[in-house]
This record gives sequence, structure tokens and C-alpha cells, in this order.
Amino acid sequence: MVKLFKWLKKYALLIVMLLLLAAPSVTSQYEFYVVQRGVQNAIHVLGLLILIGYSGMLSLGSAALLATGAYTYGILLVKVGLNPWVGAALAVALTTFIGTGLALPAFRLAGPFLVVTTVGFGEIVRILILNMEPITGGAYGLAGFAKLLPSTRWVYYLMVAALFLIAIAVKRIGESRLGLALKSLREDEVAAEVMGVDVRRAKMVSFALSAMLAGLSGVFLANLTGYLSPDSFTAAESASYLLMVVMGGMQSVTGAIVSSIVITSLPEVLRFLSSSRLLVYSLVLLVYLRLNWVRTGKGSLAGLMKTLGFPLGTGRAKDRS
Amino acid sequence: MVGSTNTAREVLNVKGLTKKFGGLVAVDDLDINVKEGQICALIGPNGSGKTTVLNLITGVYKNDRGVVDFAGQHVQNLPPHTICWKGIARTFQNIRILSSQTVFQNALLGKGYGNGGVSILQTALNTKKYREATAACTEEVDRILEFVGLLDLKNEYARNLPYGKQRILEIARALITGPKLLLLDEPAAGLNSQEIHALMELIKRISERGISILLIEHRMEIVGKLADWVFVLNHGAKIAEGTFDKVKEDPAVIQAYLGRGGR
Repeated sequence: MVKLFKWLKKYALLIVMLLLLAAPSVTSQYEFYVVQRGVQNAIHVLGLLILIGYSGMLSLGSAALLATGAYTYGILLVKVGLNPWVGAALAVALTTFIGTGLALPAFRLAGPFLVVTTVGFGEIVRILILNMEPITGGAYGLAGFAKLLPSTRWVYYLMVAALFLIAIAVKRIGESRLGLALKSLREDEVAAEVMGVDVRRAKMVSFALSAMLAGLSGVFLANLTGYLSPDSFTAAESASYLLMVVMGGMQSVTGAIVSSIVITSLPEVLRFLSSSRLLVYSLVLLVYLRLNWVRTGKGSLAGLMKTLGFPLGTGRAKDRS
Repeated sequence: MVGSTNTAREVLNVKGLTKKFGGLVAVDDLDINVKEGQICALIGPNGSGKTTVLNLITGVYKNDRGVVDFAGQHVQNLPPHTICWKGIARTFQNIRILSSQTVFQNALLGKGYGNGGVSILQTALNTKKYREATAACTEEVDRILEFVGLLDLKNEYARNLPYGKQRILEIARALITGPKLLLLDEPAAGLNSQEIHALMELIKRISERGISILLIEHRMEIVGKLADWVFVLNHGAKIAEGTFDKVKEDPAVIQAYLGRGGR
């Protein structure tokens, strides 16, 4: 039994990938769409894994970066008429650039203060999209852009391939010295900087990598839905991305992928409960979190808060005693 | 550059260092200097500003006035990681290790940010260059861990180590940065007499490697045995300096810190 467990753990990523490759053949069209969204979310969540799980900087504005990626792609195709691949590359680049800028407040802020900043950023982007109607389509949304590949199925395979490569990359970064430097930010910033970790650079890298993946995920989102609306990028969306990271175990790449897909599909799976759906949804998540945290010995609220990157009672970026 | 042979032998030269927290003068016009290969001690009553001095030297705090010269270069008010790269490493009074990482990873943190000039892309692709850089690093970390005697605990989580070993681990991490000057903030706090003995041996061995040491310590037997030169602080100002035997007879030091029954 233990052996089986170890084996499963070792090949977990591969197994998940094989299941994803098989998904289009065994699911109905609607179920397939949910899986696609799950994979697309997973790419975004792997970025958040670097930012939140490794570096301990909590962002609740990640949907805005997703929106930046998706809208840039859409606008470049519809209004400028670029080739989809060029549009995708530019969208990822722009999102990375903007996301890296988000690191600037993180130089001085930590914990809840940084969270508030990211929430603010998320709202600013959403409201900008809503109001810049000539460019973004405003509340009517944006439609009419081409896909990267002609069929949805091929876009899906491209996404799964990208997810696989990204998962390996994120895992390797986590195990490298760079990953260690990022994790040291979460655990003890002062110790890190005194040991020669360039804290600002590490924070920028963390934000840049996570924004890059958010941009990529946004491009895929535009490809999947073919229609973009500001309603898909609310603060509630950002919160559910955070949830995906937390449920995935904060450190585990495979965990993040599985939790992204499960949480994306959970509302659909529970649809038969109709109006009590949200209630059950929350309950399932709470029970899981509770069990998970009891198992890992972090059963308290304080433990959860600390894991989320802001231990209760500290607000400033540095405790220097 | 400061050319004279006299200053060249000084690793650390602090002049007129001043730090105020609001109305409180934590460090007041302080001069200290540490010569190459020396073990110096910074002593004084609680709240006399000893740890603040270390925080100023390592750039954790910005100073209000004064000069910190290290190996002939101004280092005051540089970012802490830059000061670390120049060759000043430190440990903390309350141990600051990464408790959820292994001993090896904690020590590895001493190599600083990044992958030794290997890009993120190469890390992600696991290229030969990245693997070589990592292997070189691992070897170096292993050597230091062996030097301090923690090699057999390499894969243990840092939080599982006994307190004394955690202190040693912090020293190992500081050594891996390749320092010329090592600042130790109460390294013996909370250790039992056996551990203190081992710690003193270790400090001597570090000193023999040509690394200068400035330590803060409250246990006078350690200061007496290790320190070549002692600075005494009271209310942020230096009230005496000299060899320990001389300083302990100083009436001002006895009055402020050691007391009449002083060792």
C-alpha cells in the first residue's frame, strides 16, 4: 500500500497529464468545456503557486492579469488585425510587464496591506475595461477574434502540452536556488537579505513569472470562450484562484493542477443541487481545508493565516528584531 | 582607496556612527574597528545598542550619521544583500533560520539569490550549465557543513534540530557567504556548557581561517577566553575599549555593567 502510494506520488504529474489527454474522448461537449477551463485555470494557478506558495506574497488581483492577457490578445486581433500567434506573444509580454510593476508596492508592503493593493489593482483593471468601450467593448464584451489553432480540440492539446512544460519548469524552479531564495522571502525576509538575497529582485522575478503565466492563461481563455466580458474578471474570480492554490497544498505543482480542475468543475458537478449548490460547495471546501490542515498540523486559523503569508499581528514588510 | 598600511589591516572601521529612534539615541557617535584576523567583542548592559550596531553595519537599519568602512570601502547604508556580497555575514540573536527547509537548504541560502549566474530558463530546462553550477554549490555547502559538524544532519528539517545545532547552522549559513568579517549576535545564548565549549572551539577555528569576528556576548568567561579586543557600550556610547583584562578593571565598566563582584 505504501509502495503504491509512493509510486502514485512519483508519477502523479504524468498520470494527471495522461488523464487530461484522454479527456476529450470520454467527455461530452459540455464536460469537455469545463475540463478545458480547468486546464486553462491551472496554468494561471501555477503562476500563483510561485507568487503565493513559494514567495508568500498574497495576491487577490490575479484575475486582472488574466484579463490583461485575454483582452490584449482580443484587442490586438480584432482592432489591430494581428496574426493570432503574434497577438498571443505580445499579450503575454504586456501582461508580464504590467505584473512586474505590481512588485513595486510589494517592496514596502506585506501581508494584508499588499492584499489590499492587489485587490485595488484588480478593480482598477476591471473598471478600465468596463469604461474604455471603444477599445474593449465595455459591458458588451469583446468578440470576433480568431483562435491560435483552427479547432478547439487542438487548442486544448496545445494547452495541455504547455501545462506539462510549465509544471516541470515551476517544479524545477521550486527546487533550485532561485526557488529557495523565493521561499526565504516567505519565511524570513530579513534573514534572506542579510544572507545576500536581493529581495527586490526576487520579488520582481516572482511577480514577473506569475504574471507571465497569467497572461498565457488569459490568451487561452480568449481562445476557449471566443468572447470576453469584464464580468469574468471580478474579485470573486481572484479569490477562487487563491482557493485553488491553497487547496492544492501551496507547494505542490501536481496538487495545484488537480485542485484547479476540481474546483473549476465542482460548481458544475453540484449543479443538480440547484439553489443549495453554493452552500454545499462552500461546505465541501471547508471540510477539505479543515481535514487537510489537521493532517498537516496547521489546524488553527493562525496557522492558515501564516501559511497564506500574513501571520496575525504583523503588517510591515519587516520585523527587524 | 585608502592607501596606508595601517588602514589596510583594518577590516572594519566604524567612525561616528549614530542612530536615533525618535528621541532615543540608540547609538551615539560610536567608533570601533576590527583588525584582520582579530576576535573582537561588543559588551554592555541590555538595551545599550549592541544589536543596533550590528544592524547598522549590515545595512538592516540606515544610520543617521557616521561612516562604516569595510576593507577600505564605504558600506554604510547600502542594501543588506550588497553588504553581504562584500563580505560581512552575521547571525541573529533570535535564531532566524528557515524552519520548514532542510539543513542543507538553509545553508545553501548563504549562496544568495539566483542560481549562480544561470538564467531562469536554463533552470527550467535543467541544462548542463545549471546542473554543473548546482553541483559546485552542493559541494561547497557540504564542505562547510562538514567544517561545522552538521554534515550528517544535512537532510533533516531545520525545525527538528536542537537549539544548539540551530545556532551552529546559522553560523554555517553565514560562513557560506564567504565572509571576511563575521558578526555573531549572542551565539552562546541558550546553550548548555558543553555546547558553549564546542561553540568556542568553532569560533577559534573560524578565526584561524583568517575570518575576523565581532561578537556580542553576555557571558564574560567566553569574552575573556576568546576576545582579543573588547568594546564596552552603555546607552549607545562607547565607555571603554581594550583587552578584556584591562576593561574589566575599568571603574566606568564596573559601574555600568559588570558590577562589583565582576569576574
